[in-house]
Amino acid sequence: MTVAAQIGPMAEVPPALRWGAVVNLLLWAIALLLCLVPFGLVLLISFGHKVEGAGWDWAFSSENYLRFFVGANWPAETTSLYLGQLYWSMRYAVVAAVLAVVTALPFTYLMTRQSRRAQARWLVFLLATLSLSEVFIVMGWDIILSNNSGLPMLFAASGVTDWLKDTGWFDVLRDWGLANPRNVKFKTSEFATVLTLSYLVWPYAVILLYPALSRLDPSLAEAARTMGARPWTVARTVILPAVRLPLMGTTLLLFVFLLGAYVAITVFADPSQHTTAVSIYENVRGSTLNAPFGAAQSVVLLVAAGAFLVLGQRLSRKSQGGA
Amino acid sequence: MSALSLHGIRKDYGEARAVDDITLDFPDGQLTALLGPSGCGKTTLLRMIAGLEVPTAGTVTVGGRDITRVPAHKRKFGMVFQSFALFPHLTVRDNVAYALTIAGTARGEAAARADTLLDLVQLTGFGDRRIGQLSGGQKQRVAIARALAQEPEVFLLDEPMSALDAKLREEMQVELRLLQQRLGITTIVVTHDQREAMTMADRIIVMSKGRVEQAGTPQEIYHWPATGFVAGFIGRANFMDGVAQDGRIMVGGVALSLPRPAQFLTGSAVQLVCRPEGIRLGAGLAEVNSIEGRVTFVRDLGPVRDIYLETRLGRLVAEQSADQSRVLAVGDRVHLSLPPDALRLYPGLPVTLPATALAAE
Amino acid sequence: MGRVFGHLFMALAAIVVALPIVIVCSAALNGGRTMFFPPQDPTLARFGEFFFSEPVWTRALSNSVIVALGSATLAVLMAWPIAYALWKTGSRQSAMLAGLGSIPFALPPIVFGVGLGFFWSFLGGLGSIWAGIISHAVLFLALPLVTISIGLQAVDRAHLDAAATMGATEGVTFRTIILPQTLPYTISGFFFALVLSFNEFIVMFFVSASAFSTVTLQIFNSLRNGYTPTMAVAAVAFITVSIIVFSAVARWGDLPRLMGADQSRN
Repeated sequence: MTVAAQIGPMAEVPPALRWGAVVNLLLWAIALLLCLVPFGLVLLISFGHKVEGAGWDWAFSSENYLRFFVGANWPAETTSLYLGQLYWSMRYAVVAAVLAVVTALPFTYLMTRQSRRAQARWLVFLLATLSLSEVFIVMGWDIILSNNSGLPMLFAASGVTDWLKDTGWFDVLRDWGLANPRNVKFKTSEFATVLTLSYLVWPYAVILLYPALSRLDPSLAEAARTMGARPWTVARTVILPAVRLPLMGTTLLLFVFLLGAYVAITVFADPSQHTTAVSIYENVRGSTLNAPFGAAQSVVLLVAAGAFLVLGQRLSRKSQGGA
Repeated sequence: MSALSLHGIRKDYGEARAVDDITLDFPDGQLTALLGPSGCGKTTLLRMIAGLEVPTAGTVTVGGRDITRVPAHKRKFGMVFQSFALFPHLTVRDNVAYALTIAGTARGEAAARADTLLDLVQLTGFGDRRIGQLSGGQKQRVAIARALAQEPEVFLLDEPMSALDAKLREEMQVELRLLQQRLGITTIVVTHDQREAMTMADRIIVMSKGRVEQAGTPQEIYHWPATGFVAGFIGRANFMDGVAQDGRIMVGGVALSLPRPAQFLTGSAVQLVCRPEGIRLGAGLAEVNSIEGRVTFVRDLGPVRDIYLETRLGRLVAEQSADQSRVLAVGDRVHLSLPPDALRLYPGLPVTLPATALAAE
Repeated sequence: MGRVFGHLFMALAAIVVALPIVIVCSAALNGGRTMFFPPQDPTLARFGEFFFSEPVWTRALSNSVIVALGSATLAVLMAWPIAYALWKTGSRQSAMLAGLGSIPFALPPIVFGVGLGFFWSFLGGLGSIWAGIISHAVLFLALPLVTISIGLQAVDRAHLDAAATMGATEGVTFRTIILPQTLPYTISGFFFALVLSFNEFIVMFFVSASAFSTVTLQIFNSLRNGYTPTMAVAAVAFITVSIIVFSAVARWGDLPRLMGADQSRN
């Protein structure tokens, strides 16, 4: 009888069916046109070439990809400027994604142990910050981290700077690039960049980890406790293994999302440490205007993102099969 | 109106056959119970009657009119679902009036009719409540009222009592039966509870593995089960495996007599069934089918007592009414007899139900 | 001990998350043209500029509202049939369609933005506001798709059978049972798309081709010239809208369930 319950009501016939087919066809057309064609265009144009002063032309050349990987003047000389940008894209994205997930995990776990009402309140708060535009968030951190306001000013005024100088930590900070001769400075620094990027995706990390953690049976942890496991042991032996897959999936999604980050990089990162996303912007709509090259960089970024997603899926399938 | 008939109904889900060649008539104005263990195909059969499933083969007719391919919304057989399936986004009144509203009945008229039906199921004044505010029993009454609103030719109920607690269930069984008799509507109830079927039904159809095992009145089914399966499923029974010999049955070296000589060839395996209340205990019994047994366990149920016995026929359970003077204790030796007319005989091979059927009530 | 530590950790996280937002919002009170924290010569004059007197901002705001409302509506209208077909048939084909519709949201928006820039320049829509609306609708299609699917999964199939035995055709069942029961989820999906569209600027940057700008795009474009307190007013307005919208979703819908919490536990 369970079989019977799963089967839906008897199939409805003609007019609805015909309309359904029309709507279905229409949706496929829209989805293909709007979800796939733009990416297809990027791919096609990435093989095109730039016309000086007149935009670009269709072509089938690999010049843009050559330029990306070995430089425009290859084989006379090899530059790795654009590869370097890709490296920074990856580096920021990995560090910020891992940082966000690592800090979001205990937070989300604690949140799911609260009442449904409290959870709803936290979710409202997180969703509000999550949806807040990158421009506002960068604005906020910029005020906090700017050299003539926020934290540096606070450090100097409260004497923390002097204390740091006295204890010798100031020189350590200088070595890390977090201080100029007079005071601490966070702009521009990798620290500020990663902090802002991590902040940007932190609510996403919580939202993405939330389903897995909220479905975690609390009696699992309780059972471990009754067997004498300390809280830390419970986390390590019960909770972490149970959420390993969502943890990896979340990190990957945040990573892909961060590959496209733009404003935070331009504001907080040193120009020598700018990313592919920034370069894409410059080429497509910014100062350098080389749309085919921008498209080629977009393709590389997409391939990188796709490769990581596929790799992640492989890994998770493997560990699932092993489990 | 006209009677509902099923002819050669079959339903396959891929390889699995849920319902196998069922032919049945449902007389007008009667309450028929489809009774069987879960997975026997009774709900699938009911859903095919409602038009929610299309049979793989066979026909469904009402008064000679073939409705096999008529979809549910054109049959409009009122149906009460196991979970009641009341719409939480509508009030009680709007739920009851649903069939009328979507058929285009004027609002006021539909509401008035809904209120009449709510009176009928003793929920006067509940029209404006939300579904979430109702108790289980009230929900069931709303579901019944809702299914009756369209004045269906056939009234179908799928395990209507399963969401209710035990006490409420018995009350509702009686109430539903009285309502059905008052309205004189052809009704089919699916249930796995034999007490429920016996309380409500004019006629019980016992099903097993997609087939009809027996169709008959509650009395017929209980006292003259057609198969060993029915005997085990309806009420409680002692099962004894034996061999036919010259019109008598040999069980564990004891020759048992039947009212009439058994119609089995000597040497063929048979199954004997005796209800616990059919076994007589005590001295001074008739000599026929009389043996001795030892009491192994006494289960006091209040009005009756179950005496578990170890005998040459195997383990038996006898039911004794509690007011009998002689109180038996574990270890006592007693005389017992199995009166010939309390014995039922079935072919031996397919022993479908193990001895645990006794406890399965 | 552990409990206290946990509460401390959560409080700390909340403070860090709230900190930049609070600072931006308070900067809106600055009297001068520069962002200071704490604000100097506190005034509400910037609010007047943003909402009423400064045409750059009022035009951007009305564009933002038009794009957000339009794209969220369009996204819901596209998501409904896709989600419904997936739920009703569960076919491979409808699953592929749903997957296709989720691609733009899952990939880096800058790439989708670049692609849409090319796309609209071919179709001649570049710089028009309806191209912006359609672009955002596609970008955020995944959101109503997910919420509506969650809502449909919550519909008890017995309700559909019950409606059918009472004479309801598929169309009537859809109108009287499915649509009302999934309404909170539809609205949630609409709001999610609305709020994210309101805040998005990268895709809009490529599609608008500087012909029009939304509020976030306006801020993005003037980033090089530094921040002004009027921009902070925009932040206040946006965070307020977000909080109101998500509170409404939490009030009338089941936010924890929408976010994927186990339904059985409270």
